Amino acid sequence: MHKGKGMKFVGDSRVQDKKGQKVYPPDYSAYPGKNEPFWPDFLLREWMVGAVFLIGFLVLTVAHPSPLEGQADPTNTGYIPLPDWYFLFLYQLLKYEFASGPYNIIGAMVVPGIAFGALLLAPFLDRGPERRAYKRPLPVLFMLLALSAMVYLTWESVANHDWAAAERQGKITSDTAFDKSDPGYEVYAKQSCIGCHGDQLQGGAGVAFDGLKLTPEQVAKVAKEGYKTMQPGAFKGSDEELKKLANFIAEYSNK
Amino acid sequence: MSNNRVSRRQFLNYTLTGVGGFMAAGMLMPMVRFAVDPVLAKKGGGEYVLTEKKVSDLTEKPEKVDFTYEQADAWYKSDVTDNAWVYKDGDKIIAISPVCKHLGCTVNWDGDPAHPNQFFCPCHAGRYEKNGKNIPKTPPLGPLDQFQVKEKDGFLMIGKVIPNTMVKQ
Amino acid sequence: MLNKLYDWIDERLDITPIWRDIADHEVPEHVNPAHHFSAFVYCFGGLTFFVTVIQILSGMFLTMYYTPDVVNAWKSVYYLQNEVGAGEIIRGMHHWGASLVIVMMFLHTLRVFFTGSYKKPRELNWIVGVLIFAVILGLGFTGYLLPWDMKALFATKVGIEIAASVPIIGEAIKILLAGDTTILGAQTLTRFFAIHVFFLPAALLGLLAAHFIMIRRQGISGPL
Repeated sequence: MHKGKGMKFVGDSRVQDKKGQKVYPPDYSAYPGKNEPFWPDFLLREWMVGAVFLIGFLVLTVAHPSPLEGQADPTNTGYIPLPDWYFLFLYQLLKYEFASGPYNIIGAMVVPGIAFGALLLAPFLDRGPERRAYKRPLPVLFMLLALSAMVYLTWESVANHDWAAAERQGKITSDTAFDKSDPGYEVYAKQSCIGCHGDQLQGGAGVAFDGLKLTPEQVAKVAKEGYKTMQPGAFKGSDEELKKLANFIAEYSNK
Repeated sequence: MSNNRVSRRQFLNYTLTGVGGFMAAGMLMPMVRFAVDPVLAKKGGGEYVLTEKKVSDLTEKPEKVDFTYEQADAWYKSDVTDNAWVYKDGDKIIAISPVCKHLGCTVNWDGDPAHPNQFFCPCHAGRYEKNGKNIPKTPPLGPLDQFQVKEKDGFLMIGKVIPNTMVKQ
Repeated sequence: MLNKLYDWIDERLDITPIWRDIADHEVPEHVNPAHHFSAFVYCFGGLTFFVTVIQILSGMFLTMYYTPDVVNAWKSVYYLQNEVGAGEIIRGMHHWGASLVIVMMFLHTLRVFFTGSYKKPRELNWIVGVLIFAVILGLGFTGYLLPWDMKALFATKVGIEIAASVPIIGEAIKILLAGDTTILGAQTLTRFFAIHVFFLPAALLGLLAAHFIMIRRQGISGPL
């Protein structure tokens, strides 16, 4: 019994040729040019490249310690999440109207499903005998379209992300930076401040307070009148409460 | 000519082994350093822990004294309660570790009615004298360890474990 | 000495053919950057494998310290990175290697696509390759949660919600991944750990073996 139906295999000595003998030396006679033994000639080149690559990689690990944000806190409502960079395009896709809300299924399932399915079945969609890229324009065109879409979406999501806020909200903070039983914090939690500025005062949609060096008067003014994107009238409590809140925040921001 | 070919192949093989060894070393050196860290880590320790035992209450008879300290086990910090058998030898305070030198069970003073005034280990019937000396023909191979002790404001402080100083082997 | 040992084993197991399959073949000119520098595009597959090996090794060592538990996970990662000798390097290898393996795999996929190497008779190898791609992305997704820091938790929350938006079975997938209908916590972490450390690597090793056996059987695709 002959396997392979007349196809010429190279490289596997357990595949028998037609005479029933083992084909020992791999046969690249069909390919013109200068062949080189894999072992040791080619492998040596490969490993030399690998060694250089490894040195570069180790230098990278030392030069850029891997990031570690503060311990996960599911109760933090102000955190703006971001996936790892290779999922950014998918994340961005789900922000568009046609791929979110009632059409979420399109962004989450249909588009990625079609893309992955097409990739998986590429050999059966592109059946022609031609291998050169310019002789099979359609598959190449689709691939380039998909690629540029991914690059564009990734770019968009990077450009739209508030990296400064991300760095602030991810910082490893110690819980003892302020006292949660402070009457000012009670006001802070009862009013809507906590929604945007976070339960650890770490910021989110609103700013983080640490290091801002505010005076109580400034805090009280902003709480009532708003500031930049913060709407006026966010604070709806009594003057007594406002004073407690302002003192608490001002003290924290000056620490 | 054919000789030359063989030596070239050999040369390439040696170089290949060298480069491969370099890559393996580059990858594995940090990993091995990472793995053996506990072996190289210096244990701080040696700090004295204050007990609730008054030194004036100690007698010639060994007494079990509990002491609690915070133990840092890498990322896991916990309060550990340990104990020592403490007695007075003249003016000196002696604190004997209750860890049996055979297989690490816990010994008790007067633990065996048949052998009074000895430390007794219930696991394999190991016995020790009051100063921690192991009694021949019982399983343990050495004397019980001691704790360093100190006195502060009339209360006993217990330090780190040291080898038994009273028994000459 | 080594030759004698080799002969002793070979006499009993006939390992020479295996050795030949692995190493004793020729590399044609068109994939050898020494002859045409543009052939460096053929290196990406090998580099992907190299980084995968680094990932497996560094991952094995990381589990010596890592604890898949909501209370201790972050602490153990913080400890192994900041307190353990070479910890920064090992975690760095695993963290940056994860990105690198995806970059390399992506470039390898593009090379195979643009040289049309997936055509007959290599369709099956392409399919296995795309499955490897999916497994690696799965490893990236599950591994992202394990340090249990803020970005890990919230990125996973989003990821699981995306899975939950699948019609009909979405909710079941979500519960299966998170281990709970509403909480993303202790059970999610242990599940992701098991998937990241046992299930996906097992699948990856099987697929890689299939990938390599097929390459050796079919040889590399010819010049364009």
